[in-house]
Amino acid sequence: MRYAEWCIAAPSLEADIAAAAMGLDDIGHSRVLYGSLRELGTPDGVDEGTYANVPYLDKPWTDWAQFVAANAVLDSAFTLMIEALANGNVEVLRSRLKKMLQEERYHYLHGRSWMREAKAASAFERVWRESLEWIGPENADVDQLHREGQLAYGVRELRRLLEERVGSSAPATDIDWAKWDRVRRRMEPGGIDQATLEMLQGLAEKRYMPTSG
Amino acid sequence: MGYSRVHASVREYDVFARKARVEPLRQVGSVVAPDDDLAMAYARATYDEERWVEMMIVPRDAVIRLWAPGESES
Repeated sequence: MRYAEWCIAAPSLEADIAAAAMGLDDIGHSRVLYGSLRELGTPDGVDEGTYANVPYLDKPWTDWAQFVAANAVLDSAFTLMIEALANGNVEVLRSRLKKMLQEERYHYLHGRSWMREAKAASAFERVWRESLEWIGPENADVDQLHREGQLAYGVRELRRLLEERVGSSAPATDIDWAKWDRVRRRMEPGGIDQATLEMLQGLAEKRYMPTSG
Repeated sequence: MGYSRVHASVREYDVFARKARVEPLRQVGSVVAPDDDLAMAYARATYDEERWVEMMIVPRDAVIRLWAPGESES
């Protein structure tokens, strides 16, 4: 959704088109992921304010540098987790997530190239910190799933691969894991802004529908 | 060609693709980007509406032209 907001606001027409295309890819990816969850026996249960999004996505971005930082670092962190699932031992995910990885390659190329140009030091620090928070602490759920084989990588490997992919070391951050919300995988309270939430839940569209009966 | 846009220096790339192995590659468009990474991302985002089996990009300055329309073959 945040990508899509830039489809007429990026610095060039090509970047507009890329933002739209990446937004569409990611909507498709979330449909596949929700579908896989359903198949694996997890009910939908998306309630207001319980979206497990990282805080960086709570509010619309106001600067292209914020887009670039998310595109280069956060998107890569999500992709590495998809890769870990695609190479894990859950058959549904092994067969379904491969195409996502092909598409995500272009998100990464886009982010990496723009990162060479964008001056976004503070945004980068924030996306790095939130990526690490999203991956989570060592010896917790991710490492447990890694031991059981569902995930091909554990926390340390995910962090190392992310550094490798982004081409920079994670900034030194002190994460107080005691404050970590293990369900939403973030430290801060809060959630997605109301207008975006209504679009995600289809409420915005309903306002334009003729009332029935 | 004097593109400046938002990047200090850019290259033009021609985009080639085909829908089946038996078809020859054909030029489907072009992109302008500061480097190969972004050129790949732009080419894929702009021209992926069809089910290509192959897509490639070539920096236009790497193409050696022997002659152009209206020029004689010599």
